Amino acid sequence: MNTNIDNVHDDHHHTPTGIMRWITTTNHKDIGTLYLWFSLLMFFIGGFMALIIRAELFEPGLQLVIPGFFNQMTTMHALIMIFGAVMPAFVGLANWQVPLMIGAPDMALPRLNNWSFWILPFAFTMMLSTLFFESGGPAAGWTLYPPLSLQGGDSMPFVILSIHMLGISSILGAINIIATILNMRAPGMTLMKLPMFIWTWLITAFLLIAAMPVLAGAITMLLTDRFFGTSFFTASGGGDPVMFQHIFWFFGHPEVYILILPAFGIVSTILPTFSRKKLFGYDSMVYATVSIALLSFIVWAHHMFTVGMPLAGEIFFMLTTMLIAVPTGVKVFNWVATMWQGSMTFETPMLFSIAFIILFTIGGFSGLMLAMTPADFQYHDTYFVVAHFHYVLVPGAVFAIIAAVYYWLPKWTGKMYDEGLGKLHFWLTTIFVNLTFFPQHFVGLAGMPRRIPDYPVQFADFNAISSIGAFGFGLSQLLFLYILYKTLKQNKTVEDKAWDGAEGLEWTLSSPPPYHSFETPPKIN
Amino acid sequence: MNKYRKTYFLLTCAVVFMFFFSYMLVPLYDIFCEVTGLNGKTNISKAIVLNETPKNRFVKIQFTSNVAESAPFQFQPFKKEMIVEVGKIYNTSYLLTNKSTDIKHVTASPSVVPSQNAEYFKKIECFCFTEQKILGLTTESLPLQFIIDNKLPLETNTLILSYTLFNTTNQAGLK
Repeated sequence: MNTNIDNVHDDHHHTPTGIMRWITTTNHKDIGTLYLWFSLLMFFIGGFMALIIRAELFEPGLQLVIPGFFNQMTTMHALIMIFGAVMPAFVGLANWQVPLMIGAPDMALPRLNNWSFWILPFAFTMMLSTLFFESGGPAAGWTLYPPLSLQGGDSMPFVILSIHMLGISSILGAINIIATILNMRAPGMTLMKLPMFIWTWLITAFLLIAAMPVLAGAITMLLTDRFFGTSFFTASGGGDPVMFQHIFWFFGHPEVYILILPAFGIVSTILPTFSRKKLFGYDSMVYATVSIALLSFIVWAHHMFTVGMPLAGEIFFMLTTMLIAVPTGVKVFNWVATMWQGSMTFETPMLFSIAFIILFTIGGFSGLMLAMTPADFQYHDTYFVVAHFHYVLVPGAVFAIIAAVYYWLPKWTGKMYDEGLGKLHFWLTTIFVNLTFFPQHFVGLAGMPRRIPDYPVQFADFNAISSIGAFGFGLSQLLFLYILYKTLKQNKTVEDKAWDGAEGLEWTLSSPPPYHSFETPPKIN
Repeated sequence: MNKYRKTYFLLTCAVVFMFFFSYMLVPLYDIFCEVTGLNGKTNISKAIVLNETPKNRFVKIQFTSNVAESAPFQFQPFKKEMIVEVGKIYNTSYLLTNKSTDIKHVTASPSVVPSQNAEYFKKIECFCFTEQKILGLTTESLPLQFIIDNKLPLETNTLILSYTLFNTTNQAGLK
């Protein structure tokens, strides 16, 4: 890709300094930074809750917390990690990278962009404040199934309104990203020349547009059921609690692809760089991503095989779910083929990406097992499910986010992280993540239910291992914090093209890029 | 600038549409099940029975009951079990005792196991069709008239009818 930049100047822009710079900023780089720091904070808060869960589960019996608080922790951990850590991290990466990778000066709607970030701290303050209520925080699980969620304490309306706010934030972010990608590409950058990260984010943004309003509708129905006497889900008024599950998972399944598609894009960006080859099968990658997104809307009931669906329904949802393995398999094979015979080097982002492929595929396989209706009756609501979705979310989404941060950190800051410490971080994280989640497959298959604070003694050993792994994983992330600190503190700078195999418009800019980049669009041949 | 506005407009329309679509899903699921015949739902409206003739085939019906949220009621089937002939109308009842001293409103929600045979359990007259009112410290007999459809699959020889009783006194006050 040949590019031509002839215009880098930002001296005529006036920006406030100090805290007001961050509150009033409309700059995509600032907002991207805010999103990323915010998601890191949420990652640690959600992680702390996970450690409370694992500490309680270290041995059988009730030691540290009462069961009610344990349930609040499982619920809040999920809400925080999904809506506070993974989604904002991806939006932050999109904010930084979309304009840089398509040669646009900024996002299409900069003010809206500011707003969609600043909704988040308020939403999470409201959500977290429920933990200090007399009746405690939400404890019915992040899926908020009625009738249990309707019977909760005073936290319920607060949590629902904060989820509404998070939904608004995501939808605004998605509109912004779609508008930017569709309208602000540099001349010559056709859709089929878009970097893979941009493609996956474009599709993710469409999923957000289609799925988040359905979640908003479902939780609004919960709210009116509880406070205004509607009976969407209240059985006493003729409602149907199972209906909530159908509506919720109509949102919920696209949501899991919202959490993973940008990760696919990140890995598709990093692997070619360190394999020094072009991405294998670019076109098939695009079509695979589109098919995954479309299929995600017709598989929702595989989350609820045990509610008593007709046989025809169970077979339909089993087969469509298994069908998703085909485009996902295309992606995995393309990644492997990208590395095949490449001159590979193993810098930290590459290590995280390779671990992503292996561990995400393990999570994908356990997903296939769960897709089989007859088998799912045994696995449903056990730790096997917990192991499955943590394998696709932690060494899946979270590893990709960490890889992206290591990969683009030199570009964003102009400074290179400590490679030795980065590798140490990788190995600690990878070992501990497997120590945490792999034994959960075994206890799940043996019948340990999820969301319980106490368990029979035969599960004790694997749970102890899992807890040790969780604490190791949590502490390893403090090393990540130190690596970030050390990187930002140093004075050494990197070249514009920080990685010799890197391709793309962002590497034609200086490191760090000017505050306002691509004011004149680059030309793409 | 027009191109941008069009994108924003279409995307905003999509968001608004999907929000209302989530509400549309509620009736759409019912319509879908009706059209395709995929259903595990227990009917809560009066069944119309025409030309059903007894088929000299007998099945066992078991009756159970639950009271939701530990409301002050005793609620039990008059008979726990009946052997009935398919295609013949039967009468039975449930006994409801209000243990409190106040007037209470209750609604009973039916459920049939196995659920794929729910549609063959036809209720001609049932206290579950409407809200019931019961005075304090009284016992009432709530009538139930039903028929088992001739089309009940041959492999089925037992059906369980269960009612969950909800205290709807507060909701009745709202109306």
